[in-house]
Amino acid sequence: MITSALRTPVADLLPEDTTPIRVKTRFGDFEADRRSLLEFPAGLPAFEMCRHFVLMESPSIAPFQCLHAVDGPSASFLVINPRLVLPDYRCKLSPADRERFQVADDAPLLWLVVVLLKDSGEAFANLRAPVVIHPERMVGYQVMPHDSLYPMRYPMVSE
Amino acid sequence: MLVVTRKRNEAIIIGEGIEVRVLRVGRDGVRIGISAPPHVPVNRAEIYELIRAENLEAAQSQAPAPVLADNLRQLVSAARS
Repeated sequence: MITSALRTPVADLLPEDTTPIRVKTRFGDFEADRRSLLEFPAGLPAFEMCRHFVLMESPSIAPFQCLHAVDGPSASFLVINPRLVLPDYRCKLSPADRERFQVADDAPLLWLVVVLLKDSGEAFANLRAPVVIHPERMVGYQVMPHDSLYPMRYPMVSE
Repeated sequence: MLVVTRKRNEAIIIGEGIEVRVLRVGRDGVRIGISAPPHVPVNRAEIYELIRAENLEAAQSQAPAPVLADNLRQLVSAARS
């Protein structure tokens, strides 16, 4: 069973387009509801042309999720909740980032980190630049807090 | 590249709503204030370049699928233990 992880309430107001988005990725084939489209107004660094993504999950990759660009150059990323990598992971949005999200201090946000898989089998989580998604507005940014001390390559499996 | 000379408290306007102002000129560095609309990300170039390279590598990793799946399962159990 394959599901998209988020749905947008705003799109409920739009005429329904029921054709799912079919996505083939290195992490499996997915079908995503059109209403689960996330907007990334700035893309992701190196993928600035990718403005729309879907976040998909499936039992075969859980608790990882796949963040896949549906426009611009083809790009899919394996992502995970940083608290599963480092239980006491704590990161605050800068005032400028909070303004970008237009969120109140206590608004619940979805935090994810990009996972880098090496051919050697090692895996690293980019704790330095988390992907933050506002689940109600369905807007996301990859933020890079200036004062963050977390590494860009946090080893996920210690040998 | 456009090169302009600015003194302290002088600014440059870029496009609509982006202002770059020189706040202080010191011996080792220049302090700059940037005002930009909320949707325009402003980042230090060296950090942005590092994240770019990291994202490119993450998106291009071609670890073969069976190995990938094995890795994932290992990671999943590691994450849950």
